[in-house]
Amino acid sequence: MSRLLSTIALSAGLLPAMLWAADSQGAALRAPIAAGATPMSPASRDQGPPQGEPIHAVLGIPPNVPPPVHRNHPAKVIVELEVIEKEMPISEGVTYTYWTFGGTVPGSFIRVRQGDTVEFHLKNAPDNKMPHNVDLHGVTGPGGGAASSFTAPGHESQFTFKALNAGLYVYHCATAPVGMHVANGMYGLILIEPPEGLPKVDHEYYVMQGDFYTTGKYREKGHQPFDMDAAIAEHPTYVLFNGREGSLTGDQALTAKVGETVRLFVGNGGPNLVSSFHVIGEIFDKVYYEGGTHAQENVQTTLIPAGGAMMADFRVEVPGTYVLVDHSIFRAFNKGALGMLKVDGPQDKSIYSGKEVDSVYLGDRAGDNLHAVSIAAKANAAGTLSKDDQIKAGQQLFAGTCSVCHQANGEGMAGVFPPLAKSDYLAKMAKEKLISIPLHGLTGAVTVNGQEYNSVMPPMSQLTDDEVANILTYVLNSWGNPGGQVSKEEVGKVRAQPATATDSR
Amino acid sequence: MRAVLLIAGLLAGLSAAAADYAPLPAAVFNSVLPADGKSAPARMAPFAMRVEPVTNDEYLAFVQTHPAWRKGNVPAALADAGYLSHWNSASVLGSHALPEQPVTRVSWFAAQAFCESEQARLPTWYEWEYAAAADSTRTDARADAQWRERVLDWYGRPSSTTLADIGGDANVYGVRDLNGLVWEWVDDFNALLVSADSRDQNGADTTKFCGAGAATLQQKENYATLMRVAMLSALKASDTTRALGFRCVRTL
Amino acid sequence: MKRLLLGMLLLLGAGHAVAETPLPGTSVYQLDVGLIDQQGHGWPWADRRGQVQIVSMFYTSCSMVCPMIVDTMKLTAQAVHAPGHAPLSLLLVSFDPARDTASVLRDYAQRRHLPSPPWMLARTESPAAARQLAAVLGLQYRQLPDGDFNHSSELILLDAEGRVAARTSVIGRLDPEFVHAIERTLADQ
Repeated sequence: MSRLLSTIALSAGLLPAMLWAADSQGAALRAPIAAGATPMSPASRDQGPPQGEPIHAVLGIPPNVPPPVHRNHPAKVIVELEVIEKEMPISEGVTYTYWTFGGTVPGSFIRVRQGDTVEFHLKNAPDNKMPHNVDLHGVTGPGGGAASSFTAPGHESQFTFKALNAGLYVYHCATAPVGMHVANGMYGLILIEPPEGLPKVDHEYYVMQGDFYTTGKYREKGHQPFDMDAAIAEHPTYVLFNGREGSLTGDQALTAKVGETVRLFVGNGGPNLVSSFHVIGEIFDKVYYEGGTHAQENVQTTLIPAGGAMMADFRVEVPGTYVLVDHSIFRAFNKGALGMLKVDGPQDKSIYSGKEVDSVYLGDRAGDNLHAVSIAAKANAAGTLSKDDQIKAGQQLFAGTCSVCHQANGEGMAGVFPPLAKSDYLAKMAKEKLISIPLHGLTGAVTVNGQEYNSVMPPMSQLTDDEVANILTYVLNSWGNPGGQVSKEEVGKVRAQPATATDSR
Repeated sequence: MRAVLLIAGLLAGLSAAAADYAPLPAAVFNSVLPADGKSAPARMAPFAMRVEPVTNDEYLAFVQTHPAWRKGNVPAALADAGYLSHWNSASVLGSHALPEQPVTRVSWFAAQAFCESEQARLPTWYEWEYAAAADSTRTDARADAQWRERVLDWYGRPSSTTLADIGGDANVYGVRDLNGLVWEWVDDFNALLVSADSRDQNGADTTKFCGAGAATLQQKENYATLMRVAMLSALKASDTTRALGFRCVRTL
Repeated sequence: MKRLLLGMLLLLGAGHAVAETPLPGTSVYQLDVGLIDQQGHGWPWADRRGQVQIVSMFYTSCSMVCPMIVDTMKLTAQAVHAPGHAPLSLLLVSFDPARDTASVLRDYAQRRHLPSPPWMLARTESPAAARQLAAVLGLQYRQLPDGDFNHSSELILLDAEGRVAARTSVIGRLDPEFVHAIERTLADQ
């Protein structure tokens, strides 16, 4: 009996020590808390009155953020944010009227320290048409500040709040109709650093996902207005990072070097969709899920609620292009939710030996800027479209869409995908039949250059008339093919006819 | 001498009445702002509405005869620093204020004074909403999603493009340019009682708004009208902005 | 005769100019509207110039917040500690001039123990003028079909020149910042 008692007593004595040991390991994962206080106690949240001179906050223009705060006392921070309504491109050849905080979507990144007193100035540019306000999720107070910042164009509002809770918070406009203001891009992030700051990393980047609703289809050219019914039905036309297709691809990709640590501040402005955020080829070492104080480790894909945010830290070990996606995958490839992180540096074959992942994963949408495509679109509108314009545009579109199967030089894959280079099959084909292939697809056995292929080519229904015309013109004029030109009108005619059963011939 | 004065007065009266007013019949109307704060429709007596918003030219004639309202003469309590700031001077419009454009950058007090000068008044919100719900063939086009989308389109464009002249298509009453040209003042702009945080739809703070609390907005898919309510709620009577003009009505 | 008239006009003008410095641009007295008080006397709103006052708007048949507005004004006036200065005036203007006639206002003042001075209850000449007064003070209200009103509730402090020196929407208890603002404004006169 006494042995039992002493065993129990021993374990009881050990238990606190074990808990303490586990806890200190946990503490290394969590941001440490001020001594003598728990996260929820007022003693740690309200650090007292501001000290020193007021500071004018430096705001971050996406995808960059202001430098870490590096301060050991609470201060008064003055934040000035201007609302600007402006027309900007949302995709190549497509424009949209955005309502922005600071001229960008997402709006400027605000960075303060827990305990700071923030004097917030909201300005509404005189050329704007709409009144606006701001709701910061990091504010403790009515409407998050929305009640006190309702501002007509050509006016300025001011309110002050104390940043009581550390974390990464969304801010957005909350003027009726709220859904429309958010859908037009009025969101951003405010980081309230814990008093001792965040662990140091080599790069910090700012990414924010949003869904966009236009009356035209995905990539339909021209100025597109907001589609209220689609927004209510939650059927977005675009799902984008940082407000624009291609905002984080090509020469605007995020960058890092092998061996460096990267921190992504990722928000989701919505208005409707939840994001399944994933970086292809990388694992998040730490995810401060929901932008809060605790971190999960070794995460592949993390959920970011609409109106929420998260912070992910990871180290890049091998060079390559890592693709940021919303893993609800049709959003990445058919609505534009795709960005890139390019990592340079020496290979490490022991970690990854293979080729770059580029051409398979990226599918249609992440080639270099589709500059020639927009030139062709403009020329088409002006009536000056030349065969050369079409060939150049077609080349870029081919690289994004067709080369996946038919390969970059049109050589196809033996036994699987027929070649397009010097193809006798194409040479003797009527133009209408040629056009119907990308439009309606092709199934069944075909013989090309003496070889038989029996595969399924799906219809390329995401391509518009001018895109099909440009791709076909490029194919006809490349790799020893006989030449020729296909026009947008010819494509339109074929599209209007229904696909016939003889398409497989 | 007296005869000359009489004729001059008559002529002055005539030119003031030269603005066209079109009659609108009495109506029971389902507004986005229910009359009792919950669901009641608005009841309107017949009235006549100015066919066009007031133009720069007409406003210039007004300030010539009412010098208290000339640019530079109006105290800050009645019009802010932006009052007529796009006019070259107190008596010259200049190239940024074409004669046939609707006058903008005028405060509520200024608009009231103008309407008074032509024996009229500002429309109430209900009168304005009722007239604006009509298109060229129907008295109430609001159920038509395409019509709503067209009206909404105007709000999506920033007002940095040049303001168009008056003279758009007339609606079924003969009134023009209610949608798509400028925001317009109404008499009871400060009666819209929408909480500054537009998400406070129910359970509003009853000490902030005595009575039924902040108005609950109906017809939430009618975004364009909701935005008008939001815009007017954001204004103070002395405010002036680039895209805000007005027109007048007369009780019949 | 003409010269005499001209001379008299000049004198009047000069006297007028000496008696009053120009009204500040932001003064609410820039609005030309007439009030009729509980005794039935009519005078221009700008006649209140020279008095530091708390202003609010109400209507007598209001049963919810308006009694609290009146009580808050009483409480605030009592809490003001400004010895040696002119007393604080308290003005209530009705949203509902049609029903709140002079005698109704007198009745109300008696029932709620609002002695005049420092209290003054008044109405405008017309509902349109009430709208204008509310607009210049920044108050919102709308009339409901049953005759009641929805309205915002605020106490507004006007300095002697008619500029809004402070406002509070705290109703039912004291707002210490508002009380301080009153004391400062009284001291500045």
